[in-house]
Amino acid sequence: MSEPILVATGLRKTFRAARGNPAVEALRGVDLTVATGEVFGLLGPNGAGKTTAMRILCTLLIPSAGSARIAGFDLVREQAQVRQRIGYVGQKGGMEGVATGRENLILQARLYGMSRAAAAVRVDELIDRLKLAEFAGRKTQTYSGGQRRIFDLASGIIHKPPLLFLDEPTTGLDPASRARVWDEVRRLNAEGATVFLTTHYLEEADALCGHVAIVDKGAVAALGTPADLKATVGGDTIVLGFASEAAAKAAAAAVVGSPFGAKMQTHEQTVRLYVHRGEEVLPAVLQFLNAKQLEIATVTLARPSLDEVFLKLTGRSLTSEPQVGS
Amino acid sequence: MLRDTYLVAKHELLVTARNPFWIVFGLFQPIVYLLLFAPFLKGVASTPGFPGGDSIQFFAPGLLIMNAMFNAGFAGFGIIEKMRSGFLERLRVTPISRVALVLGLVLVSTTEVILQSVLLVVVSLFFGLTVTMAGIALLLVLLVLVAIAMASASFSLALIVKDEGILAGVTNFFQLPLLLLSGVLLPIAFAPALIRALSALDPFRYAADAARDLIVGGSDGASVTTAFPLFVILAAIALGWFVRMIREAVA
Repeated sequence: MSEPILVATGLRKTFRAARGNPAVEALRGVDLTVATGEVFGLLGPNGAGKTTAMRILCTLLIPSAGSARIAGFDLVREQAQVRQRIGYVGQKGGMEGVATGRENLILQARLYGMSRAAAAVRVDELIDRLKLAEFAGRKTQTYSGGQRRIFDLASGIIHKPPLLFLDEPTTGLDPASRARVWDEVRRLNAEGATVFLTTHYLEEADALCGHVAIVDKGAVAALGTPADLKATVGGDTIVLGFASEAAAKAAAAAVVGSPFGAKMQTHEQTVRLYVHRGEEVLPAVLQFLNAKQLEIATVTLARPSLDEVFLKLTGRSLTSEPQVGS
Repeated sequence: MLRDTYLVAKHELLVTARNPFWIVFGLFQPIVYLLLFAPFLKGVASTPGFPGGDSIQFFAPGLLIMNAMFNAGFAGFGIIEKMRSGFLERLRVTPISRVALVLGLVLVSTTEVILQSVLLVVVSLFFGLTVTMAGIALLLVLLVLVAIAMASASFSLALIVKDEGILAGVTNFFQLPLLLLSGVLLPIAFAPALIRALSALDPFRYAADAARDLIVGGSDGASVTTAFPLFVILAAIALGWFVRMIREAVA
């Protein structure tokens, strides 16, 4: 195994707040290791610190404490070397609207040190590879969200960086564009690039990532392969929905002492039972609750998912989190 | 570093040149001031206390300083949009030197000011402005320094406030008093003692005096030897501020 491409230790970031308010601790000591050649995902709700972590690792923010090495260079002391070896596609992309896609890419190539001729060759290569010829001569302000995203991606890989950072690469995209971005990430990874992405889509982390770090409130809550993380949930989840919170509490109280109540969680009107072989346990659960005169409104049998992992770790659901700006 | 400065500046100029509004309202705006204001000054020039000679000799240098102050002073508005679109972030993750990035952006604002200034001088010649080549050359250097100082300060301020509305308020708050106290529009000799004392604290007062001396000539040159070092220092401080802001910046 080769050296990990990214090792971060104890990253902290505190933002000064307006007078009278306490400072905001966006990161509270994050350790991360990304193996060369993998797709690594930072998963968490908005405001968890994903973007702050990524901005620090891309040299856009200086950490308040902690250190990191990227491709063998110190993140803070050797910024120029780090920058040469990473690509970054931010949430906002950063295309100049009144310049054409091609002009934007040429500028990017030139800023990474390519000669005029080399830049033209590389940009044509990417336009061809990503099938952008149709739009490349138009101003980027005329692009759709999906078209723009592919140009953003092209600008991030223009200098063939060994490590590519993608900050929420598919947020706000339609399903077809999302699939296109996923395909491109897989292709880049197959060609040897390491990809570090943030997402709040569970299926994205599940579909793309070799390792996932779940971030919550500025710290890593869990780290592992999607399969490992799902295994910590301990098999399947039976989700029982009740008409009211009171009914859910009553059911939880009844279930606690039962054979299937060993691992459970109550959240508003739902009770979750973490069980093995859920399809076999489910009928027994229903009979048990029926016998106790507890009326169930809905039943779902959930196979292990990262959503279940997140819920188990934090007591909150990732998907029902209100969408607030990060 | 020169190469990166050139790349950033070239891109910015291309973007600016593509905006037809800029050409009409940016390039020709100072000319409109000149056309509206110069005839009116003809009557004022005979007022006691007004420096002798044609009013255009008094007014054109002041207008040049004002134009540099105002146009470069609004440079920051552009960078807020670049921040919002992520363009600034995209430049900041590339390995180019932060100084090159800053110089590239400032250079474009400065170029705009110089283009406007040359145009203004040419039009003023038709109004009877007389100049020496040396005087105009030195005046353009002074205008470059003023533009660098103002643009850098405006960019830095923009990165702090991050909002066009607030930036407009802050900019007006400082710019208008600085303009009035500088004696650009009317001779400061007209003013009461308090205003004259305050105007001694306004760096643009020295720039305006020097600009007039460079056009009119014949003075002992004290205003020129004050204004140049002063604006070299101010431009350096403002540039340094901008570099610091770009380094540390800013969500």
